[in-house]
Amino acid sequence: MKTLVIINQAPYGNWSGREALDMALSLAAFDQPATLLFTSDGVNWLRKDQQAAAISQKSVDRNLAAASIFGVSELLADHQSCHRFGLDDHTMIEGITLANINADFLRAYGHVISLS
Amino acid sequence: MSSPALSFTLVITGAPYSTQAPQTALAFARATVAAGHRIDRVFLYGDGVYLASNLASPPSDEANWSHQWRAFLEEKAVPGVACIASALRRGIVDDNEKQRYELPASNIAAPFSIAGLGEWVEGVARSDRVIYFHGGN
Repeated sequence: MKTLVIINQAPYGNWSGREALDMALSLAAFDQPATLLFTSDGVNWLRKDQQAAAISQKSVDRNLAAASIFGVSELLADHQSCHRFGLDDHTMIEGITLANINADFLRAYGHVISLS
Repeated sequence: MSSPALSFTLVITGAPYSTQAPQTALAFARATVAAGHRIDRVFLYGDGVYLASNLASPPSDEANWSHQWRAFLEEKAVPGVACIASALRRGIVDDNEKQRYELPASNIAAPFSIAGLGEWVEGVARSDRVIYFHGGN
């Protein structure tokens, strides 16, 4: 069964995104198909050159780089949300596929998780 | 006409006393069993792990959600599992982790145990339904 894990909160101010990412990594570790979707404020996870050390946190882009290594099938970003936050090929990390989120898109997944 | 029995995994991510998630989940769990369905496991994630502390001491005229959940799990023989990463960050510890991290005490409330997210993955893979109880914003 395909699982979609949705991250819709900006990084650092809220732990739910890290916990959602851990869920996706765990699914992949146990050979369960998992896709990550960044939408709404969550697309800010995908911004290049984050300076997380300035607030004594670890940058999330390293965690994301691990996602494909550990077998997360796909990293998707909602097209409209990226546009709203000024994210494009130049400002976004590599390896992200833009998607248009609607009912038909969600129907392809047997299990959809959003922690917030 | 009765519907076929289903198996459930319940995931609680909201803490007791700051959200209604553990209370709502318990009402759902009781109704699920009463309707003849099965609960494979209850998985505590994020702030939900606070439900597994044996140190919470609410005033005596308030519901003790940890006690009520523990009684339910024991009576129905349902495994209750707290995510180890969430639990350690929040100071919910069993005897093994107490020794590993050389902590002064352990505080996991039986029958809850501490284990990895693999327990939740098992629920996603095997249970007919996985239901989430979040705290909301």
